[in-house]
Amino acid sequence: MLWVDKYRPKTLDKVTVHDQVAQNLKKLVAEQDCPHLLFYGPSGSGKKTLIMALIKQMFGAGAEKVKMENKTWKIDTGSRTIEIELAMLSSTHHVEMNPSDAGFQDRYVVQEVIKEMAKNRPIDAKGKRAFKVLVLNEVDKLSREAQHSLRRTMEKYSASCRLILCCNSSSKVTEAVRSRCLNVRVNAPSEDQIVQVLEFIGKKENLNLPFGFAARIAAQSNRNLRRAILFFETCKVQQYPFTSNQVAPPLDWEQYVAEIAADIMKEQSPKRLYAVRQKLYELLVNCIPPESILKKLLAELLKKLDSDLKHEICHWAAHYEHKMRLGSKAIFHIEAFVAKFMSIYKEFLVSTFG
Amino acid sequence: MGKRPPVVVLSSSSDEDEGRGRRAASRGPSARRTRTPATAPPPAHATSGSRKKARRVGSSGRGRRRAAGPAPSGSLKAEFDMLSEDFSECLNDLGMAGSICQTEELWVEKYKPNLSSELAVHKKKVEDVKKWLEEKLKAPKGTFGGWTLVLTGQAGVGKSATIKALAPELGVEICEWTAPVPTLWTEHLHANSGLRYISKLEEFENFVEKIRKYSLLSPTSIGSQRKLTIVLIDDIPVTSGRVSFARLGKCLTGLIQSTQVPTVISLTQYHKTENNDTATWNSEDLESLLQSAGARKIAFNPVTTNSIKKILVRICKKEGSDLTEELLHQIATSSGGDIRHAIMSLQYYCLNPRRLNSALTTTTILPVLKSSGTLVPVQDDYGFSYVISTACGRDETLSLFHALGKFLHNKRDTYVNVAVDVDSFPLKEKLRRNPHKMEVPEKILSQAHGKVRTVADFLYENVLDFIDNDAIDDAWTVISYLSEADCLLAGSPISSARWMVNESYESESMTQLIAASVAARGVLFGNAHVSSSRWHTIRSPRVWQIEQSFRSRKDLILRERYDCSSTSGSRNFADIVTEFKPFERWISPCNDISRSNSVDHNVEASSSEEEEIEDW
Amino acid sequence: MLFYGPPGTGKTTTALAIAYQLYGPELYKSRVLELNASDERGINVVRTKIKDFAAVAVGTARKGGYPCPPYKIIILDEADSMTEDAQNALRRTMETYSKVTRFFFICNYISRIIEPLASRCAKFRFKPLSEEVMSNRILHICNEEGVSLDAQALATLSSISNGDLRRAITYLQSAARLFGSSISSTDLISVSGAIPEDVVKSLLASCKSGEFDVANKEVNNIIADGYPVSQLISQFLDVIVHADDIPDEQKARICKKLGEADKCLVDGADEYLQLLDVASETIRALFDMPQTLVF
Repeated sequence: MLWVDKYRPKTLDKVTVHDQVAQNLKKLVAEQDCPHLLFYGPSGSGKKTLIMALIKQMFGAGAEKVKMENKTWKIDTGSRTIEIELAMLSSTHHVEMNPSDAGFQDRYVVQEVIKEMAKNRPIDAKGKRAFKVLVLNEVDKLSREAQHSLRRTMEKYSASCRLILCCNSSSKVTEAVRSRCLNVRVNAPSEDQIVQVLEFIGKKENLNLPFGFAARIAAQSNRNLRRAILFFETCKVQQYPFTSNQVAPPLDWEQYVAEIAADIMKEQSPKRLYAVRQKLYELLVNCIPPESILKKLLAELLKKLDSDLKHEICHWAAHYEHKMRLGSKAIFHIEAFVAKFMSIYKEFLVSTFG
Repeated sequence: MGKRPPVVVLSSSSDEDEGRGRRAASRGPSARRTRTPATAPPPAHATSGSRKKARRVGSSGRGRRRAAGPAPSGSLKAEFDMLSEDFSECLNDLGMAGSICQTEELWVEKYKPNLSSELAVHKKKVEDVKKWLEEKLKAPKGTFGGWTLVLTGQAGVGKSATIKALAPELGVEICEWTAPVPTLWTEHLHANSGLRYISKLEEFENFVEKIRKYSLLSPTSIGSQRKLTIVLIDDIPVTSGRVSFARLGKCLTGLIQSTQVPTVISLTQYHKTENNDTATWNSEDLESLLQSAGARKIAFNPVTTNSIKKILVRICKKEGSDLTEELLHQIATSSGGDIRHAIMSLQYYCLNPRRLNSALTTTTILPVLKSSGTLVPVQDDYGFSYVISTACGRDETLSLFHALGKFLHNKRDTYVNVAVDVDSFPLKEKLRRNPHKMEVPEKILSQAHGKVRTVADFLYENVLDFIDNDAIDDAWTVISYLSEADCLLAGSPISSARWMVNESYESESMTQLIAASVAARGVLFGNAHVSSSRWHTIRSPRVWQIEQSFRSRKDLILRERYDCSSTSGSRNFADIVTEFKPFERWISPCNDISRSNSVDHNVEASSSEEEEIEDW
Repeated sequence: MLFYGPPGTGKTTTALAIAYQLYGPELYKSRVLELNASDERGINVVRTKIKDFAAVAVGTARKGGYPCPPYKIIILDEADSMTEDAQNALRRTMETYSKVTRFFFICNYISRIIEPLASRCAKFRFKPLSEEVMSNRILHICNEEGVSLDAQALATLSSISNGDLRRAITYLQSAARLFGSSISSTDLISVSGAIPEDVVKSLLASCKSGEFDVANKEVNNIIADGYPVSQLISQFLDVIVHADDIPDEQKARICKKLGEADKCLVDGADEYLQLLDVASETIRALFDMPQTLVF
């Protein structure tokens, strides 16, 4: 088991990083009435942990017995029948799923699947907790239509079903949905907090951490707690006892992007552009999200540039990332960005060095 | 895939439907009877069905008929019926009704080769097939495997004709599987084609089952004096979706491995461009599947122009029509190696020679006027084949490449024409381009018949080769135009309806046109410094491969996701890819092996780089 | 009738109130049809459901002191999200059954209602509620629910809700749930998802430093803290507009960029990149750097 899972706080009381949020959630549970919730925050900040702990707080240990099922839904849209296969995790009290996995059919998933689930009121003998909790991940990846139908579902079935939505950027969730939820912002832990968590894990695992080691990992992790713990475990696997100046190896895809950046800086020509394209394909095949590629590429390029150029480059990165959303083939746009950079940079070189 | 209940047919009696029903009734049986769900429709139904279908296809545009024909059509017979309907309809339009008698046989049927020597197929291929058949017929029974031959090739290169011509020579009987005729036409109208394919698939499965049983029984029951048989599977049911494809695959594999009768499967290759989506049926997948099951494959090439011409001349002589040599040549070239198509065109033009001649004259005059006497043969050629292909054509992928070549090479007049626009428009020097040495890009595009998406992908894949190595600015301009075109193609970002092409097809077609011209003109404009004209092969876009393997990879990861995280809930897809996967590789090295096996086979070219990634 | 105006200004409430007043609770069910945007509302629904409902004539029947006029009411909430086809189909229905059925359209943007439909309606614009009306209402609720709210919190509440009473009440309720009966202004801010002033200020300060890297770091921090960027942008806009030390020309340039970024965000563009772009453009504007690089 990965340390990330092993040392995940299981109850709201044990949550260390967001203790304030956890206390508030506890109050909510104590009041017996829980509104719809929307958790948002950057990745690796602990949204999922909080949600799981919250569910446990609500339903007790019963919520921990989850089973995975691949359910196929048949949806009649009038003109034809669509089949959607969707994996979900469910316990007696809650169901968790990623509706955006259904891709462009997410609208139907939200409309039908959730409706159906919300209609099935859980039966319980003791007459308490007469509602089910539905956890929806990656709400920001849902299409507009899906979000719209979500909002109706929320109102209609609020008696029997509570939604817990989870997303990275709340800008991409429509106002209508946001305003119907209690928004919970989960900020990324600060580096100090990460250090604390790492030291806590180190103690539990009986590891000997040299001075400054945890801080270095924390700095490398970019305020992403999950990444930090993964780095930590990697270091442990690679070399233990830790040496005083040990660093975790960079992520392979990030390394690859850095290499692309170096390529771009070295030569600016259509031929090189073509070579870069092949490398970008490589990344895309490995399912690295294109926007991550673009962001990382930008970060790598920014490291090596003059301030004037930086403005220009980040403008174009934003421009092409936007285009990428509008278009359907990411590679076109990433490459356009690369080409633009090459063009600017070459001009810069010529004007500076003659 | 469940069967659609018949309720839908009955309930959906809107006004419009009622009217059509009545029309159908006037032609054949009563409307009531047409509606009753029948498993084996009487022949009258079938004809009325295909009649309707012919109407539909005919009205949807002649240029597309070929492309639309083979995919959903039933048996070849039905297809011909449909086409003959179409012909007479054409003629009716021209006010020439009666010049063709309904009962007249189609030439394709009439001049079907009966002897192997009459075949237009390359001698060697025929010989190969013949040898194989002879061998198998002599071979002892009781061995499993190796009894299947797969013939591949474009439509109309004579795959099944070869078998049919060879069979009597070898003295064997053909047991042929033909696709069932389309069921009820009302049903066909309402159900999207999904239903019919499925029933076809089921019927196919039944047939295969029968063959297997038959072949298992035959050696004992009838013994050696029985007549030799070949099983010919001509029209493998078109499947949509992974599930039914898997079913078909299973069925075929079973057949190949267990049959003891020589079985010939003829497999029509569609162009990859038509179905680069994984959802649709992919002939290449099927081909590899068949081969891996142990079938022998013989690929048929398109019939050469000369052989087509020979056949055409022969038919002309027999029919007593006097088409010129030149004309026959044109028909032969424009058919793109499809002999059936060539004969069709021939018959069509023989019916109305005047029409053809007028077409010929108009097109030849135009270039003459344009280029004032210096008639470039290529241009003439192109113009003419264009006329034919619009009149009764098939998708000309060749001309797609032609168009691409024009865009990419970007030939412009070399002399500098300063006098024209200096006074009227003080254009920046940077933005001025010499006039094109070609027609308007939009026209070329429309001639190319290609899908816009395809054109854009091809341009994107290849344009860098044609840009001068110093002109990175140009590269950017070109690619930014392509990126704009991509945005246009994707449609509005908000609606997910863009995926359901059928629903919003009408409104999108305009955007498609604009996108095409943005892409084409962008390439033309941006590429200001064309690299010196060298020979470049045009690659087919790698984006397609990449996307395909991306999808399969994603499915794989999504499926794996729940295995590893049953305790802590599911994780975001992006997180898995960017964080968990790399770390898992370090933490548990045994994972490495299973992962590198899962690397998609489609990307052979990149596998070396793939390894690099794995190594870090 | 056509009610339009920003959300939370009481359009639906008004429509429902009218309907109730006309028919009373008994007849309400049979006389009023309420359709919401998320109900299936394509052209088919307009053709069938609305038509069916509209076609049946009703008589006058005074009951329990309600006027009960001889027509029925169809309330179409969020009418601006109907497709144009559906609206066109409605137009015919409206004319045909105008004797027996009246339509209430409720929408946020009148420009999304097709002209022929709008011209058949009496139009009522709902302005955002004034601060006074809002605070009265909120204080009323507070009294009923036994929640104490100080003056500062009240001011904050009305400013973050922008004249949207529903939003204000929602915030109040969630804050009460989370933090108990006494609510401060910071509680309200954290509930509403509004961004604390000092975050926005520090972003502007980092832009004023003129150093790209400083701004980049600040942007990174904001993203890591999970603040919604679309919200940030609108608050940043307020700060920029009210800033005294920035010349108008520079303000215009920044605002233009903010507008672009907002559009991009609506299209689903990446938050980090857009915010970075805004920051860098702000720097360039503040230091009068040219829009594009010239070498």
